[in-house]
Amino acid sequence: MCHQTVSLAARHLEENGIATIVMGCAKDIVEHCGVARFLFSDFPLGNAAGRPKDPQSQAFTLELALRVLESAPAPRTTVQSPLRWSPDASWKLDYSNIDRLSPEEIRRRRDEFDRQKEIAKMGRDEPQAAR
Amino acid sequence: MSERDGYPGFAPEHDAPIPYMQRIRDYYWALGYGAPYRWAHYAEVPFQPLQKPLSRCRIALITTAAPYQPGKGDQGPGAPYNAAAKFYTVYSGDAAADHDLRISHVAIDRAHTTAEDCNTWFPLPQLRRCAAAGRIGEVAPRFHGAPTNRSHRTTIERDCPELLARCRADAVDAAVLAAN
Repeated sequence: MCHQTVSLAARHLEENGIATIVMGCAKDIVEHCGVARFLFSDFPLGNAAGRPKDPQSQAFTLELALRVLESAPAPRTTVQSPLRWSPDASWKLDYSNIDRLSPEEIRRRRDEFDRQKEIAKMGRDEPQAAR
Repeated sequence: MSERDGYPGFAPEHDAPIPYMQRIRDYYWALGYGAPYRWAHYAEVPFQPLQKPLSRCRIALITTAAPYQPGKGDQGPGAPYNAAAKFYTVYSGDAAADHDLRISHVAIDRAHTTAEDCNTWFPLPQLRRCAAAGRIGEVAPRFHGAPTNRSHRTTIERDCPELLARCRADAVDAAVLAAN
């Protein structure tokens, strides 16, 4: 949802004269929406700006984003960061992978999803604190 | 190595960007939620070239992270998904100050990352360093928080125009948008 939100926001800014660069980890969602410029880091969701506790990786990632911002020749420019999360790519098999969940775990997640949905619904109806 | 394993030096088949849309579709189908989510999709993509060198541009940062809210449950590091920490309208913050922003309200990869270092999702300090070094002209006076609404209508008709209005009010030339 989050990658979709920033992609829609980037498109709206571009349409109205503001250049954008999206930094993200979900390549398919951003490209399916379609944005002007995208720096893709092939990292677990939550690390669009670099590796945790690694200032060098974070500086590298933002610098690469700025280079894409200034040099993209056309819309839908995606650059993939050369940084690797880990030499072993098996982490990619885990996220929301139904084949790796037991029937009990699927039931548990369904209950949890319904519970969180109720909480979100209550939050939406509350007056907003954060402006 | 057999032919089936491919030519020596090929990466494993699964070492490719995760197909999130398919994963999420299959996941919610298996959980019992029927109609698949329709992701935003466009054939045409707008493109605004930069009008001047980056070293003279004012740049805004846009994030989907949420300000830490005491009393709203575990917000990390290592927190499970926490819908109570969500926010529903655009907010802004002083880009010159430091902020405690969290991502427990979005679907990050909780098996493989812990959300312990906010510089991995909110590169404001790094953007300020770029300004200090002259790489960009300046950081816009405010950064902006974009709510991750499930409703396309809410995002497109309410939140996107609000983000644009705030960027315009700050006369920004370009924006960096960091997703989670």
